[in-house]
Amino acid sequence: MKKIYILLLLSFFGNSILTSEVNVYTSRHYDSDDALYAEFTRETGIAVNIISGKGSALLQRLKSEGKNSPADIFFTVDAGNLWKVQKEGLFQSIKSKKVLTVVPENLRGPNDEWTAIAKRARVIFYNPRNVSKDLIKDINYEDLANPEWNKKIVIRSSNNMYNQSLVASLIDNLGEANTEKWAKSVVNNLARKPQGNDRSQIIAVANGEADLAVANSYYIGIMLSGSAGQEQLEAAKKVNMIFPNQSNRGAHINISGAGILKNSPNTNNANLFLEFLLSKRVQKYMVDKSYEYPIHEDVVPSKEIAGFGINFKEDQISVKNFGELNPAAVRLMDRSGWK
Amino acid sequence: MNRLSFWSSLPFAVLIVFTAPLLIVLSSLFGDYSENWSHLYEFVLFNYISNSLILVAGVGVLVFFLGTITAWTVTNFNFPGRNTFEWALILPLAIPPYILAYTFTGLFDPYGDANNLIREILGLDQDVIIFPSVRNIYGAITVFGFTLYPYVYLVSRSAFINQSKSMIEASRMLGLNQIQVFYKLALPIIRPAAVGGMMLVIMETLSDFGAVDHFAIETFTTGIFRTWYGLYDLQTAMQLASLLLITVGVFYILEKNSRGNGIYTSSNSTFSPNKEEVLSGFRAFFAFSICLLPIFIGFILPILELSLWAFEVNIAFFNEKFFKNSINTFTLSIGTGLICAGLALLINFSLRFKPTKLIKRLSSLLSIGYAVPGLILAVGMVQLMVGLDNLIFSNLDIVLTGSIFGLLVAYIIKTYALANSSIESGYERISNSIDDSSRILGSTSWVMLFNIHTPLMKTALLTSVLLVMSDVVKELPATLILRPFNFETLAVSTYIYASEERMLQAAAPAIAIVLVGLIPIIFLSKMIRSSRPATEK
Repeated sequence: MKKIYILLLLSFFGNSILTSEVNVYTSRHYDSDDALYAEFTRETGIAVNIISGKGSALLQRLKSEGKNSPADIFFTVDAGNLWKVQKEGLFQSIKSKKVLTVVPENLRGPNDEWTAIAKRARVIFYNPRNVSKDLIKDINYEDLANPEWNKKIVIRSSNNMYNQSLVASLIDNLGEANTEKWAKSVVNNLARKPQGNDRSQIIAVANGEADLAVANSYYIGIMLSGSAGQEQLEAAKKVNMIFPNQSNRGAHINISGAGILKNSPNTNNANLFLEFLLSKRVQKYMVDKSYEYPIHEDVVPSKEIAGFGINFKEDQISVKNFGELNPAAVRLMDRSGWK
Repeated sequence: MNRLSFWSSLPFAVLIVFTAPLLIVLSSLFGDYSENWSHLYEFVLFNYISNSLILVAGVGVLVFFLGTITAWTVTNFNFPGRNTFEWALILPLAIPPYILAYTFTGLFDPYGDANNLIREILGLDQDVIIFPSVRNIYGAITVFGFTLYPYVYLVSRSAFINQSKSMIEASRMLGLNQIQVFYKLALPIIRPAAVGGMMLVIMETLSDFGAVDHFAIETFTTGIFRTWYGLYDLQTAMQLASLLLITVGVFYILEKNSRGNGIYTSSNSTFSPNKEEVLSGFRAFFAFSICLLPIFIGFILPILELSLWAFEVNIAFFNEKFFKNSINTFTLSIGTGLICAGLALLINFSLRFKPTKLIKRLSSLLSIGYAVPGLILAVGMVQLMVGLDNLIFSNLDIVLTGSIFGLLVAYIIKTYALANSSIESGYERISNSIDDSSRILGSTSWVMLFNIHTPLMKTALLTSVLLVMSDVVKELPATLILRPFNFETLAVSTYIYASEERMLQAAAPAIAIVLVGLIPIIFLSKMIRSSRPATEK
């Protein structure tokens, strides 16, 4: 009998030792995140254990591990993945009052099963020397299909998840048939075969290879910061950024987001971790390093990004919709010949 | 002969565990087929297949010529730099194809460094573009060709060295010139060996995602990932991967059959080396250029570009974390190398005596694991580990999942083909008569393996360890989801940056991969230098 007590006691202490950690599966890779995690440990004494990898692959590991998974937090830059994890029933509702008061409802998952941590807009870049601002100040994503942009647009491949969610949001707003017509015209308007990342699209516009580029907002911040080298800094200075659809539904927004897993062994720590990420000070630190937009409304974006405008109108469509429509978007792009 | 039956059942047991992840991938074929199949068939599948075929054909031809011509040049001629080229020709093995792809676009994009440099030197306008675009299938063929040709070079070189001089001398006397000797005589003789090397190259090309994705080419492998990530359809992605696996398997078996069953074992004792011809003047320069070109494109150029990038951003990279990651990388690679070589030795040994059909099939399955995209393999791996955990710890805990063990097994499946190829060719050189004599003298199988085969196979064993090591250092997707918490290797850091095309930041860890990858390569080079028949020294 004594042995059992000792075992119980041991397992109790064993657990309490284990509760001083939080296990994070993440597909977000920023050097600055490492510093953040270290700061969290310094403040709370809770160790942060990380496995980083592709979102879809991490989801697969989660699924296979089932109820024995050590993971507490799933953190990703692809909203579609949050939706997938939720659909598999792997998340629990976030109960933290702090989190729920900071994050507006449209940036949380159904039943509060996940929350945005930072957001980014998919916007249009142009070179003011080649395109007058007046011509495009009211531009909509829909206008990219217009014949006036024939052979003048650059955008990356349809393998990219940001393009997939943009098209998914268009399906949600315009319907599948209209979006397909749009996609076919955009493909005709391309200045070159889709290639490279978002930054090479911005560079192409800076060099005059094309008039308009579609890319995520934070890239211009990275380029302007100079951390990506002199050449990208020069290119970034030549271009301007414009938020589409400002006179109607608003610019397309995607998120970095996280949720607490249903079988999380350290739920309290996981809540603390999310609260930490959404605290004012950490939000400011994050957006200054990642050039994303903050979720906390009292925080201003980094100075590199803020210059392009802070109070732009955001498409309020719930992020969960792009998850749901992502496969339809990919099939649609296949049909339209979007490489 | 109880021992022998134990001996032949041991590799069998190991094989079953080690091939299970591949069987899990293949089992998707017996599952449901989603409606995505009709979509793929109607719009993209043909493209995936034709691009992959063009890629594989192009890479195959390129590595065949690069590998055999350079091997022929350094084994048959003496010219300035020959001794250096002889080992330097394998240096590109230290460069992962995706790194070469990234440096290629950094150099040859319209506003890349190479175009900028030439514009500056010649004082040309900004819109003059000198180099053709590399973001296409030709660029990809070049990238794979110049990083992977050493697999063909290695086997061709040792085959040429073992070619006897009498044959070459006879053909010269009959009036053939050197070039005619090369393609009429030398090539046909070493073709089986070179084709074996090509097979490795083709498998690695097919499994690659990084380079083709960077060049935005729709191949079968990018299609697998698009189906998984974009269509959210892992089942169909696994079915596609299975088809790839089966296709490769069929080719692998065809290639094995065309080589025969190792009856051409020749004894080295009557070997007389081919006399080399001393070149001078233009001919020496020509030979020099032929050998320099692949080293320049596959090694010097990417190193130059990576160094440029690394110097542009000053990041404190060579810190504590770097050393920890390097040690992780090195330990994993040497562990995988040793296990792979040991496994390959055991399996080939038991195939020599008791070539049961099942072992044969399983062992060739393990070899074609080289062609499976790393992340797909990882999916099978996670399922196997969780299954084993459930079996051992009866649903209470997961221990093996996310452990180093899982990582090791994944690496072994991924790189076994490399170990096997050199052990297999090592065994081909041990004459069957040696086995017969030792048996007549009463040797048991153990004695034969440890006291006779192992010493004879020293070079082959070492080569297989080193080849596996250099590949593990480069390999990354498998590590990404299988690894334990906070466990990083060099390839992981590089990949994290490179996947976001933050090449300036990726450069330092990429150089580190090359440096760590060079360690086994240097050993290999040393062996190459000393592997010349003694008469020539």
